[in-house]
Amino acid sequence: MSTVVDRPVTVTEVDGGGDPPKARERRRWGLTIVGSIVALIFLFPYLIMLIGAFKTRPEILRVPPTYLPQEWAPSNFLTMWDTPETPLPANLLSTVVISLCGTALALLAALPAAYYTARHNFRLKLPFLLLVLITQMLQPTVLASGLFREFITLEINDTWLTMILVNAAFNLSFAVWIMHSFFASVPKEIEEAAWLDGCSRGQSLTRIMLPLVWPGIVTAVIFTFIACWNEFAASLILLPTDTNQPLTVALTRFIGQYESAWQYVFAVSLIGIVPVVALFALIEKHLVSGLTAGGVK
Amino acid sequence: MATVTFDGASRYYAGNDKPAVDQLDLEVEDGEFLVLVGPSGCGKSTTLRMLAGLEGVDEGAVRIGERDVTNLPPKDRDIAMVFQNYALYPHMTVADNIGFHLKIKKMPKAERAERVLEAAKLLDLEPYLERKPAKLSGGQRQRVAMGRAIVRRPQVFCMDEPLSNLDAKLRVQTRTQIASLQRRLGVTTIYVTHDQVEAMTMGDRVAVLKDGLLQQCDTPIGLFGRPKNLFVAGFIGSPAMNLIPATVNGDGAVIGGQPIGLTPAQREALTSPNVVVGVRPEGWTLKPAGEGIGAMVEVVEELGSDQFLYCSTSAELTAADASEAADESEAPHTITVRAPGMSAFQRGEKVGLVPQPGAVHLFDAETGDRLPD
Repeated sequence: MSTVVDRPVTVTEVDGGGDPPKARERRRWGLTIVGSIVALIFLFPYLIMLIGAFKTRPEILRVPPTYLPQEWAPSNFLTMWDTPETPLPANLLSTVVISLCGTALALLAALPAAYYTARHNFRLKLPFLLLVLITQMLQPTVLASGLFREFITLEINDTWLTMILVNAAFNLSFAVWIMHSFFASVPKEIEEAAWLDGCSRGQSLTRIMLPLVWPGIVTAVIFTFIACWNEFAASLILLPTDTNQPLTVALTRFIGQYESAWQYVFAVSLIGIVPVVALFALIEKHLVSGLTAGGVK
Repeated sequence: MATVTFDGASRYYAGNDKPAVDQLDLEVEDGEFLVLVGPSGCGKSTTLRMLAGLEGVDEGAVRIGERDVTNLPPKDRDIAMVFQNYALYPHMTVADNIGFHLKIKKMPKAERAERVLEAAKLLDLEPYLERKPAKLSGGQRQRVAMGRAIVRRPQVFCMDEPLSNLDAKLRVQTRTQIASLQRRLGVTTIYVTHDQVEAMTMGDRVAVLKDGLLQQCDTPIGLFGRPKNLFVAGFIGSPAMNLIPATVNGDGAVIGGQPIGLTPAQREALTSPNVVVGVRPEGWTLKPAGEGIGAMVEVVEELGSDQFLYCSTSAELTAADASEAADESEAPHTITVRAPGMSAFQRGEKVGLVPQPGAVHLFDAETGDRLPD
């Protein structure tokens, strides 16, 4: 025998959850506390960095250490630019130039490669894509000595160009693969419709394909830029001159054999992560999927 | 508007020796609605894509009017296409989708808006002009795809199964709309479908393809009434034509002990004593058991307006005289017969089947070709 329900069915009834309200409240609090503890564990190093950047040199080395600075030293952010250890303005410029140019170069090479591999079938397509993937598996340190010799032969050793090329090359595979999958997800017919509507291949790429794969491009840009910005091992070997070195390498110069300027390490680290966080915040809203929804049945 | 000519056009796919489209010779008249129909893999979509420039032409030529377009890129062919999946630009509004070609052609904004509005009115799309395709129903998306094609006023429309993603009711409705729109605009149209009902109801002419080869191109009446070979006979018509193998003797082609007469021309054209007799379900007259070809009703399909009887000649023959069924021509057959709707036929009922005069099609069993009338 069936019964007629004349009131809306609640979520609890559908879920079959029969917990009393107090138990649900307890569970919610429990989850909040556990989540907060986990978040704190992850955020703790950043907190140490932030607080450390505002401590004076004697205080940062004090035993036992202090939690909050007893004497706040925002001057660290001014004095760090002019220290005997490293020319920080030049290091920052180096990081910015290498990251921007490396990202641009990787993208310029990856975009046509991703488009072509997604849209055309050729005999060695899969081996090509796997080969591209294999380059991602090699650590820069493995190749650094070989690259060092190569750049000496090419007479571009110890220049920004070396690290622009290295960064672009090491991030190319990720950019190709991520954009390849985005290009492949756009139905071929949409591009064909554009051709029939009077577009040349270039026009269909810029007016139709690029807006549709925009989330893929943004993803590739973010990850490539961050990888370039954070690159350390290859820069350490390939850029011996201090004015050419990026921030990641410059940071190590504050840690010496006899004394370490930890307050500068933390302050420079803080400066180093700000652009990356800002970039994420700016671009994050473009990281939306489902742009191609509705184009085809 | 223009004629479309396929002049011995062939298309080979990589790694396949057999062409997808084989030496196609076809002439489409100015303003004509030609339907390409055939089973999956017959080359109908490839033919359309060759015309649109989306597939290369390996042999022969394709002409639009007097212009040889064989090697022209799609953008220079002045062709509009409606795709099976509509292929709308998802990041553009309906208005931008419809007006995209005009924008590429750098038409002034005011004129473009006017043309878009005109097309939208024609297709009842006015309320949706500012929506993105994701916010439209399947039928609305299909109309946007149509709008994108008609706003261009192209020389040729290409339509690749544009109704296959719609539900049955909407398909019938849109079928009529497309056909009447084409008649009103008078644009030469090539329409691909695997649905033979669509082909028969929409096309001025229908071209039937199989394995890349053109089997027959004729008016729907011509295809239905005089199929050129066994494939066309079996493909056109729903339910399909009954194709019954028979052996020719002095009296004619014998089915169920009943001879069907052959003309002298038909006898002369035979390459062997084996023929295939084709009779459409509506080509039979139902008689009481004992008259004509004896058969037993196996299944009754009631459609309301019609009734389809699936009859077997075997049961009847076995009951009457099993020893006579030894001959190949007397082998059991299943025959579909159309009866008036709501008839009182029952499963297991014995009936007699007599082909109506003029309803018999004869085909050579060896070549599959139609024997002359």
